[in-house]
Amino acid sequence: MSAAVPSLDEEALYLHRSLFGGTPDPVTIERYAAAHRKLFPSDTGSPLLARMVSRGLDVEAVEFALRRRGAGSELTRRIQILSYLVEARARYQHYFVSIEPDRGTAVLELAAAVIRSSWKFAKGEYLVRRHGLR
Amino acid sequence: MDCVDAIVIGSGPGGAFAAYGLRGKRVLVLDVGRDAPAGDRLSGNVYDLRRTRDDLFPQLIGEEFESLHNLYNRPISLKLKSPFMSFVVRDWRRLTPVVSKTFEGVISLAKGGLANAWGAGVYRFTDRDLRGFPISVEDLQPFYDELTSRIGVSGANDDLDPYFAHDDALLPPLALSPLFSDLLARYAQARADFVRERTFLGRPRLAVLTQPWNGRSAYQYENLEFFQPHIPAIYTPAYTIDQLRSEGAITYLSGRLVERFHERDGQVRVYARNLDTGEAEVWCGRKLCIAAGTLNTARIVLQSAAEYDKRLPLLDNPMACIPFISLGRIGAGLAANDSSLAQLNWIVDDLDSGETIQGTLYGATGPLRSDVLFTLPLSFRANLTLLKHVAPAAGLLMLFYPGIETPQSYVRLRSSGELEVEFAQTGGNPAIERKIMRLLRRIGYLSHPALIDRPGMGQALHYAGALPMRAAPGPFQTHADGRLSGTAHVHIVDGACFSRLPSKNLTFTIMANALRIGRRLARELS
Repeated sequence: MSAAVPSLDEEALYLHRSLFGGTPDPVTIERYAAAHRKLFPSDTGSPLLARMVSRGLDVEAVEFALRRRGAGSELTRRIQILSYLVEARARYQHYFVSIEPDRGTAVLELAAAVIRSSWKFAKGEYLVRRHGLR
Repeated sequence: MDCVDAIVIGSGPGGAFAAYGLRGKRVLVLDVGRDAPAGDRLSGNVYDLRRTRDDLFPQLIGEEFESLHNLYNRPISLKLKSPFMSFVVRDWRRLTPVVSKTFEGVISLAKGGLANAWGAGVYRFTDRDLRGFPISVEDLQPFYDELTSRIGVSGANDDLDPYFAHDDALLPPLALSPLFSDLLARYAQARADFVRERTFLGRPRLAVLTQPWNGRSAYQYENLEFFQPHIPAIYTPAYTIDQLRSEGAITYLSGRLVERFHERDGQVRVYARNLDTGEAEVWCGRKLCIAAGTLNTARIVLQSAAEYDKRLPLLDNPMACIPFISLGRIGAGLAANDSSLAQLNWIVDDLDSGETIQGTLYGATGPLRSDVLFTLPLSFRANLTLLKHVAPAAGLLMLFYPGIETPQSYVRLRSSGELEVEFAQTGGNPAIERKIMRLLRRIGYLSHPALIDRPGMGQALHYAGALPMRAAPGPFQTHADGRLSGTAHVHIVDGACFSRLPSKNLTFTIMANALRIGRRLARELS
């Protein structure tokens, strides 16, 4: 049985929780939905995301694995839209910008990012195969 | 019918300075003239604003989600899509349609043209650059000089003097960001190696003020170039149009899309569509200067001749974008004087081709990180971390090659009114790019051939050469004074009349040539 397609509001909530943790403010949810309605009016929802939401799958891992296979562009696009929306908000700047020089922290964080990416790729590959995602 | 002395079509660099040269005459400027939207503009350093203002959605993303343009359209320059910059390319597909399989550029119908979003590079052509033109540096020199004192040009006389020409009237150069200050210092240490390879670095010549000039203020290092139009320190031809209007030197009518012209009884009739009323209008001038931008200038000329078979030549600079990084600057944080303006120029004097190849070096801190997030090879959050720490250590060398005339690069008007634009896909020169990467490595900067991006043809936005100046012009070519062959009073004053396209940004020469022609016409009209 196919999973129910989540509403745009539910999509925004799920993506945000998975990628940034916590609940986004209502304005971000509203803008996420409005962006889709305006720019992708024929997009009636993502069956891929529906399956991920219903099974609580790791968005970053699945997106990365699919992107490496040249697939999952609808999921990548959704994440990118959310990224644009939060990049304009002050409370998210620490994700995007490093103001103060701190080479030690930067090197450690970059090393962690590479390890994280490898882990997410392995996990994503497993999830894609396990759940037959594409 | 009342007949003005001269009609100028367009308000970009050619139109603005043809009109400027015609001062003292009755001049009518017809223009579509889209202008920047009103709204809550940003003021202050973009990164201070991003941290201190809770929500910059209206300025960075836009109520119409303008900054998401490249997610659902053919990608355009990141500088043309933010909410306050998108006016530069608004409506062009609807009003001036283009059909193409290969053209990846844009057209501007804005007041000031594409120069509202330019890099502000102003480079004098040398005689080497002007090979094939029926004019020489001596013809342009006084107009380059006048422009320099008029608009204010910052820069320095350095190793690039043989290519940019020595200029004693330059304002001091912009402060370099730490990344490029380091790069230039390392170049100075390894200069002998660079010179041996006939490769040179130096400061760019920019129409950007480093001190107050002619009523405009100096650059403030706010790094807002991707989001904010009409930064006073950065020149745009719209300033000249506004100044001429305020002086009463021109009548400026926006909302006019010129379709064709017709010469009769020693006068030129110009047929335009009023975009507000939809009505057809006819205007009369003793002279006509067409500066609608190369593609639309070609459209007007072909439409006027009812010529639907002729293919006019078309030039643009092939490009290669070479990213590079300084490992030592990873984690350096943002600098107070980061900007999105050109930091340095790189010249390769290629003896094999007899051409110079020009590169411009930019920092990577200007655009939204979300624009480039998924061009990186890691997972989403890891890419964010990568961008956060690497952006201050990364730069981009945008390398421009001379335009190449081929039968496959042309513009033709279809009887349906659409412009057919095609470009031959001309690649760069991998040997030159390898040389550049080798020299970068020599001074401690890393890059890799796999990272080179080759934007599609048209993306340099340096369109030229459709109606080239020739000493003895044939049909659809122009005389040395820009006069269109077969006409008595119609002059081409934008990039369309360029005889060739060197690797240098052509805008300053469009301005100088238009001023030259405008002055000449003013004398004739006297």
